[in-house]
Amino acid sequence: MSEIILALPVLLPIIGGLAMLFHRSGGEIRWSRNRALLTAGLVLLNSLIVAAILAGGADGGRRLVVFKLYSSLTVMFKLDRMGAVFAGLVAFLWPLATLYAFEYMEHEERKNTFFAFYLMTYGVTMGIALAGTLVTLYLFYEMLTFVTLPLVLFTLTPEAVRASRAYLYYSIGGAAFAFIGLVFVLGFSSIETSEFMAGGMLDPARAEQNRNILLLVYVMAFFGFGVKAALFPCYRWLPKAAVAPTPVTALLHAVAVVKSGAFAILRLTYFSFGIGFLRGSWAQWVVMTAAMVTILFGSTMAVKEVHWKRRLAYSTVSNLSYILFGATLMSPVGLAAALSHMVAHAFMKISAFFCAGAVMHKSGKTYIYQLDGMGRKMPVTFGCLTAASLSLMGIPLFAGFISKWNLAQAAFLCGDEMSRTGGGAGGLGRWLPYGGIAVILLSALLTGIYMMTVLVRAYFPKAAEAVPAGKKHGGKPQVNEGADGMEVTDPTWKMLVPLVIFTVMIVVIGVHSAPLMELLMKIGGEVG
Amino acid sequence: MSGMEILVPGICGMGLHLKMDGFRLVYTVIAVVMWGVAGAFSKEYMAHYKNKSRYYLFFWATFAATVGVFLSADLYTTFIFFEIMSFTSYVWVAFDEKKESLRAAETYLAVAVIGGMVMLMGLFLLHNVLGTLNMDEIGPAAQAVLAGKETFDNGQAIEAAGGFASARVQLYTAGALMLFGFGAKAGCFPLHIWLPKAHPVAPAPASALLSGILTKAGVFGVIIVSCTMFGSDGSWGLLIAALGLVTMFLGALLAVFSVNLKRTLACSSVSQIGFIMTGIGMSCLLSWAGEGNLLAVRGAFLHMVNHSLIKLVLFLCAGAVFMNLHQLELNDVRGFGRGKPALCFCFLMGALGIGGIPLWNGYVSKTLIHESIVEYANLLREGTLTGTEGLGGVPAGLVPVLTNPEVWRNAEWVFLFTGGMTVAYMTKLFVALFVDRHPVRQAEFDAMSSHYMKPLSRTVLTAAAAILPVLGMLPRITMDRIADLGQSFFQGTGHAHVIEYFSFVNLKGGLISVGIGAFLYIVVIRQFLMKPEPALLAAGDSGNGAIQAAEGKSKGRCYVDRWPSWLDLENLVYRPMLWLFTAAALLACRVLEHMTDGLVLLARKTVCRQLPEPKAHIEGNWLALVLGSIVDGTAAVWDKLLRRQRGEAVRVSAVHHFIEREKRMKHMGELVEQSFSFGLMLFCIGLCLTLGYLLWVFYWGV
Repeated sequence: MSEIILALPVLLPIIGGLAMLFHRSGGEIRWSRNRALLTAGLVLLNSLIVAAILAGGADGGRRLVVFKLYSSLTVMFKLDRMGAVFAGLVAFLWPLATLYAFEYMEHEERKNTFFAFYLMTYGVTMGIALAGTLVTLYLFYEMLTFVTLPLVLFTLTPEAVRASRAYLYYSIGGAAFAFIGLVFVLGFSSIETSEFMAGGMLDPARAEQNRNILLLVYVMAFFGFGVKAALFPCYRWLPKAAVAPTPVTALLHAVAVVKSGAFAILRLTYFSFGIGFLRGSWAQWVVMTAAMVTILFGSTMAVKEVHWKRRLAYSTVSNLSYILFGATLMSPVGLAAALSHMVAHAFMKISAFFCAGAVMHKSGKTYIYQLDGMGRKMPVTFGCLTAASLSLMGIPLFAGFISKWNLAQAAFLCGDEMSRTGGGAGGLGRWLPYGGIAVILLSALLTGIYMMTVLVRAYFPKAAEAVPAGKKHGGKPQVNEGADGMEVTDPTWKMLVPLVIFTVMIVVIGVHSAPLMELLMKIGGEVG
Repeated sequence: MSGMEILVPGICGMGLHLKMDGFRLVYTVIAVVMWGVAGAFSKEYMAHYKNKSRYYLFFWATFAATVGVFLSADLYTTFIFFEIMSFTSYVWVAFDEKKESLRAAETYLAVAVIGGMVMLMGLFLLHNVLGTLNMDEIGPAAQAVLAGKETFDNGQAIEAAGGFASARVQLYTAGALMLFGFGAKAGCFPLHIWLPKAHPVAPAPASALLSGILTKAGVFGVIIVSCTMFGSDGSWGLLIAALGLVTMFLGALLAVFSVNLKRTLACSSVSQIGFIMTGIGMSCLLSWAGEGNLLAVRGAFLHMVNHSLIKLVLFLCAGAVFMNLHQLELNDVRGFGRGKPALCFCFLMGALGIGGIPLWNGYVSKTLIHESIVEYANLLREGTLTGTEGLGGVPAGLVPVLTNPEVWRNAEWVFLFTGGMTVAYMTKLFVALFVDRHPVRQAEFDAMSSHYMKPLSRTVLTAAAAILPVLGMLPRITMDRIADLGQSFFQGTGHAHVIEYFSFVNLKGGLISVGIGAFLYIVVIRQFLMKPEPALLAAGDSGNGAIQAAEGKSKGRCYVDRWPSWLDLENLVYRPMLWLFTAAALLACRVLEHMTDGLVLLARKTVCRQLPEPKAHIEGNWLALVLGSIVDGTAAVWDKLLRRQRGEAVRVSAVHHFIEREKRMKHMGELVEQSFSFGLMLFCIGLCLTLGYLLWVFYWGV
């Protein structure tokens, strides 16, 4: 049975990670080399397998039933286009992030734990991407919490302990709400296996009778899955988790974990409840408002924050809600726009985090006010950061502009649609999507403030004014030194290669987005 | 020159659409000329700066983006290049990394980003209403919406595309938003704040380009919005004309008061943009009145061209001053130009051009705009407009303003008066540079006469300056042809008046302005904005003699800044507003931030309280505690009585000692208890056995 290949990218890293975790070795030096080889090999192999699977087509026909807990509780892998986008994204980013992690982690202790869980997270994330039913999704969603917990905890500082405790509480609490959604969807499902269906799987007749309770359950499940997507008011774990090593914050907390939350919400909205059932209901306006509030909230908090990685984390909070905003438009173009921002944000945020990590690694600087003049010391790193920042702001030529443009267009269409049909929630519905556009633009302005201040500081240091022109002689030339007393330079190729690739991707998507958008519009077309 | 179009589909989402026609050709050529001249000048100007390569990178990147803006054939493409242009030119302003440069750059960036966002919002809205952003298509589509038709020309229903409000309201909103975005770049009041700050701090060639052509990119957008979308809309025309008049007047006023060479030129740019906007507004109004609007259109377009060329020359002259002295305050650069004929020639050409002196190019375009105002006022006086047919689509409140000839008579006088102020502030600059003497450094300045400019800079600057009078003296051959190329872009209609530029009627306007200018210079500037040189304030350090005089015989007068420093729109309004906005948002976010955890905490403290922990009690008996405390207390008192100083070794509390003792005692006791009870048990067992034996003996024994 050739479909067994669907389970491979999920199981391979999990087994590999477990093996690494239980490995007892004599020579640490030999093992550290072998472990690097093993990790790199497994990650690459896994990404190749994913590539092979995706090359085989993703029209939704390929499924693999793993086992059945009960008649409708089926654990099943299935490949459809939306899953393929997420799987492809993750498979593309993981090897590069691993390469980066090799250099970043070289001075750390307990690398074994780190790489073991890092590998396992890869498998679990693939499980979410390939999940065919809500049960499978839920299963891997919970697992994701537990395999990433040791990574947040990694440094074992009191801060890290607090962060991981918050992470655990929030995630488990959220999953409890999501579970309610799971139960109801299975209860009202019209399909025996309860697998994801483009356009929803609820039994229309029964669902209509229990309309309001189902909408309430949808809102609860939305907020439940929204915890991982850092939806206000359950976002607090994310900025706290910025204490984790940078590869973790970058890959997991900017891409894998948080995108899993957003992805789960897309699955819930478009493939379980179905937009036909939800569109125009009060539930739509509730969740849309929550997304809009989060967008503004995250951006504003990012402006306030002076710790660089935490600022980026708040920026992630805001950007994830762009995706959720697209999702709550509940239209095919909304889904396409949400997915486009998911892809674009993955590249630009991982790039921004990696730049922050590179600076931390080379100079030990973690606060923005310490960055004076770093742009000259680390030209490549800050070049990449510039591209990522401009992209986050939504400047043309970069990926962020495309996705924001799509989001705003989708919002306009949604608003027009609503005003034609009268809108929901007492006329409020007519205005909300337009308000969303204003929110996106306002947030772009705030993004401008919080990203440009970093760049301006790095490229146009204010240090020059501290020394009056007349008194310059006598003072020794100021050398920007890192933590270990060496002059700060760009990191080695292991860090630069991923950064440059991400930057190239940002520009490529920004300049030539047609193939990507075609694919995403096709996904949107399925659910409409 | 039309029909040449390039369509690049798929780039940046919606594809790029470039086009070449007369207007675009003129502006592309101007861009090439300006960048060429400024680039050649930069070679000398930038020779001593350390970040040259950065400067040149952004210099040429901005060139590409600017040409992209002028060639764009749909607003989406315009927006893309416009944003790139804003960001690459930011680096110019921040170039020298001084405190004020960074502040100015911050303002510039904020205006650019906010303007860009607002414009983008306008584009979204426009695309939503009209379904297209192509410049050729938005005109007819907008006309259809404004005319209140049911469908577009292509049959698509209008109201179907509309959303929350009527298509008409949406179109006006979109126009206003786009005007905000483009106007911010053009330097239109009240968004001109970045201009007077950014220009003085940028390198001179960059200032020339910022002022000469980047502002024109904003004007380009204003033209599209005004002439293409609202080409014959009365209320829109009124808005633009009013903005233009206010900008023109305030810019000139700021320039008169300014005492900094480049700042004066920058304020002058604001003012000149006001002239152009007035021309654009008049073209809308004339078209609305049903007349041919060619006068206004040609005036506005020619003034754009003239201003680009004039400001190039003037800013490069300022650059020549700055690269020798590194100062720009008028008091510091006084007399620098004496004995430097090339510089004097170039500056004079620019000053005469911008002052609107007959025979120089500025005169021609100003005359055209002036005539357009006169024509509109005449129309009103003749009563052509009192009929109902001309008043379509204007709110009733605006009709008195639009139809009252007196209003437009006054507008004409504002125009002429501003022209006068232009003459006055240019005279001020010219006199300061070439007539006044520096009280201290004049000899030093004179010594620079031979080597203040390298041959290359001198040649390109002189060549650029020589264009101006050529244009002004041969308007028939040169300027009319340029205007012919550009007018179709403005939707110019009607028959071309043959304007006799040098007839008395037209010369009159120019001469009135010159008269006003002379009056202003002599009365206001010489008397009110200058004061006698403060004599002998300080000897010594003659280098920065801003207010110092030497030798005591101070017959000169120096310039003073009489503009109240608090009267600054940016510091008075915008920064507090932005600050207030962020502060309020932050406060709200702080509250929200603590909301979730706060609720959890509140619940834990109230309803979901955990059981109180049992009171911590010390292990062991109270006796040990009491005894221990007594001993501790005694020891402490003892120590105190004897004033014994204990350093590090703090006495161990006796409580623990007693507890230890007690524990041991208890343990012993337990041991004793246990062995005693064991013994007792064995004794009982023995007793039972004995009893049993006795019984057995009694009954069965014996």
